[in-house]
Amino acid sequence: MTALEGGKRAGALVGLEIHQQLASAHKLFCACPIAKSEELPFSFERRLRPSQSETGGMDPAAVFEFAKGMSNTYLWNPESSCLVEADEEPPHGLDDEALDIALQVAVMLHSNVVDEVHVMRKIVIDGSNTTGFQRTAVLGLGGHLEVEGKRVGVQSVTLEEDAARLVGEDRSSRRFALDRQGVPLVEVALDPVKGDPEYVASVALSLGRALRSTGRVARGLGTIRQDLNVSVMGGRVVEVKGVQKLPLLPKVVAYEVSRQLGLIAVASRLSERGFAAVECTVVDSQGVLASTGSRAIRGALEKGGKAVCIAAGGLGGLMGWEPHPGVRLGREVAEVARANGLGGIVHSDEFPKQGVSQSEEAELRRLCKASADAALVLVAGPADSVDRAVPQLIARLKAAPSGVPAETRGATESGESRYMRPRPGAQRMYPETDIPEVKVERERLAAVGRLVPERWEDAVERYRRTYRLSLDLAAKVLDSDYAETFERLARKLKLEPSLVASTLVDLPQRLAREGVPESGIGELTLERVLVAVDKGEIAKEAAPDVLRSMGRGESRSPGEAAGKLGLRSMDSASLARLIDAVMLKGAALVDQKGEGAFSPLMGEVMAEARGRADGAEVSRLLKGRLADFMAERKGSGRSVR
Amino acid sequence: MEDLAGYKGRALRVLSRAGASIGDVLESRTEWGTVEGTLVPRYEGGDDRHVVLKLKSGYNVGLSLATLKSVAVKAKGEKPAFLPPRQPRPRSGLQRVLVIGTGGTIASRVDYRTGAVGPAISAADLNSLIPELSDVARIEPEILLNILSENMEPSHWSSLSRRVGRGVREGYSGVVVTHGTDTLGYTAAALSFALRGVPIPVVLVGAQRSSDRPSSDATQNLIAGVSVAASAPFSGVYVAMHLCESDDSIAIHRGTRVRKNHTSRRDAFVSVDVPLAAVWRKGRLESVADGLPKRGEGVGFTPKARFDGRAALLKFHPSMDGSLIRAAQKGGVRALVIEGTGLGHVSAKVTSAVCAFVKAGGVAFMTSQCGRGMVDLNVYDTGRQLAKAGVTPLKDMLAETALVKAMWALGNTKNTREAAALMAQNIAGEMTPRRFPR
Repeated sequence: MTALEGGKRAGALVGLEIHQQLASAHKLFCACPIAKSEELPFSFERRLRPSQSETGGMDPAAVFEFAKGMSNTYLWNPESSCLVEADEEPPHGLDDEALDIALQVAVMLHSNVVDEVHVMRKIVIDGSNTTGFQRTAVLGLGGHLEVEGKRVGVQSVTLEEDAARLVGEDRSSRRFALDRQGVPLVEVALDPVKGDPEYVASVALSLGRALRSTGRVARGLGTIRQDLNVSVMGGRVVEVKGVQKLPLLPKVVAYEVSRQLGLIAVASRLSERGFAAVECTVVDSQGVLASTGSRAIRGALEKGGKAVCIAAGGLGGLMGWEPHPGVRLGREVAEVARANGLGGIVHSDEFPKQGVSQSEEAELRRLCKASADAALVLVAGPADSVDRAVPQLIARLKAAPSGVPAETRGATESGESRYMRPRPGAQRMYPETDIPEVKVERERLAAVGRLVPERWEDAVERYRRTYRLSLDLAAKVLDSDYAETFERLARKLKLEPSLVASTLVDLPQRLAREGVPESGIGELTLERVLVAVDKGEIAKEAAPDVLRSMGRGESRSPGEAAGKLGLRSMDSASLARLIDAVMLKGAALVDQKGEGAFSPLMGEVMAEARGRADGAEVSRLLKGRLADFMAERKGSGRSVR
Repeated sequence: MEDLAGYKGRALRVLSRAGASIGDVLESRTEWGTVEGTLVPRYEGGDDRHVVLKLKSGYNVGLSLATLKSVAVKAKGEKPAFLPPRQPRPRSGLQRVLVIGTGGTIASRVDYRTGAVGPAISAADLNSLIPELSDVARIEPEILLNILSENMEPSHWSSLSRRVGRGVREGYSGVVVTHGTDTLGYTAAALSFALRGVPIPVVLVGAQRSSDRPSSDATQNLIAGVSVAASAPFSGVYVAMHLCESDDSIAIHRGTRVRKNHTSRRDAFVSVDVPLAAVWRKGRLESVADGLPKRGEGVGFTPKARFDGRAALLKFHPSMDGSLIRAAQKGGVRALVIEGTGLGHVSAKVTSAVCAFVKAGGVAFMTSQCGRGMVDLNVYDTGRQLAKAGVTPLKDMLAETALVKAMWALGNTKNTREAAALMAQNIAGEMTPRRFPR
């Protein structure tokens, strides 16, 4: 059974939450501009603690993060952050522009806008907010989005601040850049849809297009982020955070569905064996493992760490069992260990492979009073990490009979997901009392409602009509970060709009496949190259080579690149000389073929010009020269000169 | 009506009619659909036209009565209540530290009725919220007051001083006072005078971020304060607050030289023109200043806890005339501390009002609004006239410290002349003989 079939069969449901950065001038709660800082010259250090919510409870995710004992270093630059981000000054009121954009999104999605906006504090103490909470406010409830002619329900539209940017991490500390903290995001949460990975991706694509159609949201990598709530029949909802690229979305859905089905398969095996619950016992095991053949464990012990053995009743043979490709309970448990700063685990299904001997296993089983059907899980590392991890590992093992535990996972670059922390509860929300509630006046709503954006489908049609782009190219431009740039350049430059479009969207992709760093081919670089083509400084044929050189950082301007590569446009005299020379060489061919000699001659000239001449220009000149030449030949009956 | 906290007028009527109380799950039908949520208190500043519901997701939203068609109670709920975690068991072999709670941000939680931060957590709660404290010392928490520091009065300084005095007799190794930051500097000065010669450290601790926030500075300030109280080699009155934006370093300021110098930063407190008494960094005391009184000195100490609040602090400014001073005198003010310009100057109009104030039996003192440096009444004519009129220059004493000291001097002398003499003496490091280039 493939994951896709599984997803359909198992009643998999996926709820999408899309976070889209807004293109407002300022951050949500202060007057800082929105800018990414390359240099972060200042820093400070903080520790965050869980605190009780207004209802008196503590958020399990917050307690988990605190238990890790991490300290956080925040790096900042006055060009992009101030005392507000440092949590050294109370937040200013909600930024009006950001609120307007988010309201526009809510209206566009037919969401019911609340009468009074209350900013909340959502406790997040993984260090990604200096305050220990994210400020967030519900603006709209309900609504819908059209996808492939059908409606997908909107649950809520929320305006919130982005978190700080993680720039580094080790076992005991994390480093964050404050430039991104406080940047306004709109979060759109959709009703769960059937877990067909391709369909989920098309829903996300439609929502992304709708958001971009406002023209008031930010573009570029990292400005849109998808979180998924995935569940299958008989399991619980798992939140997968941070899918940054759309093409990964179907992969992540497929992986997650397959993972959940696999875990349910493990649970039913366990139940077939007659285990309704998993009993765990724990013993210190450095004595037994002092000279073990397992390199991971010996390494940890040599560094002065400790080793613990957990026996989990009924799970023998099920830790390493792979009901679906890549899905194993052992891997899940190892992820919990890694989330606590440990290297992983060694379990009894892989003892021989990992170098744990039979006598060691027998001794561990005796110490744990574990029967043969129990799995042994060894965990080793620094004592504080092991002590912190063991209760969580036990909790994970004990959750095996229930199949899929509710948890928060992070999407990986390869389209899988990794355990991050337990799922947070409603305990984590309390009012942001530093910011008074904001009434949404009817007039304001009516004003943003009038700014109904052009629908994506209509924009595609307009591009085809106005700029004579193909359907494919029009869609590509509109889905890229360069729609506005394209329209501006297509109007400003004399170049064919399709050339502008393909240079903006196709060329960077082609070069990226060759390994040219994407960061090297930004909007500004593309525009400079197009302007150089427009001015005739380089031929359009030279554009790929020039971009490649600039993208690799080998040259700083199109002129410099053209110079280095010998691709500077030939002036008209040189071009005329080149055409003359080719004509001379090909005189016999012309005599023989007449006008039929044009194509081979053209090829010859373009090859000689090596991108320094524009094809259309060469064609025009060559045609004229060829006509003259043939007329001369007819007139004189002699060879030229 | 208490069970509909914060609601009034039309909103209150609608909710009462529905039989709703705070914490109930309500089903509200609006023009556009049904919203289900828990009724939460309305901030007192809010209008009477909205009802606030907490959705299942935890978000609060405000619904206008204008769009609300009906409200029905779906389920009765419990009122939210703060549940302090269990106190850790005290460890044996540690120093005993008395922690006196007075209120303020350090001991505050959000008040969901007013929406503002108000004093609520007891010193005992603090101890249980920061279990690390039990590794540093044996904490014995006690609540003396529960007020915001702007409401602090000289009578509170007196009771605080007496309680610390008893604490010394009860054998505590040190005392920590949790206090709001707004007037923390004033109270630190008051205790410095009232507890002159105290043989143990007395450390005032505040917070610029309330302790119900994950990022509160209360934790580190308190751990540092308790650690200094338990085991510092010096005695006297100090303030423990963040040294910078980071949580790892806490500045220990002398009680008479400290000022709140920023409205919101964690490192708002600065020691003016004197080095810090010490820095507490990652669990250890560093850079301990020379000349601090040693722990255990001052046997037979008794607090001088009386304060006479009839003193005023007046900041001179252009356009000021003598009317405020005359009003102060009429109002019974016995001592006037002036924040003059520059080296300690006021206009001719104000000078003559001060002369009249002194002639009528009051005492007047001069400090500078420059914030740093000495006052000197000998350099310019204006100064000499003020000196002639009987105004006592207070060298580099901070204006707030001078005010507090004047109240203490009035409370512990028979007449204003004796009080003036006491003011000129250096009692608790409030004046420094030397200042240095930076």
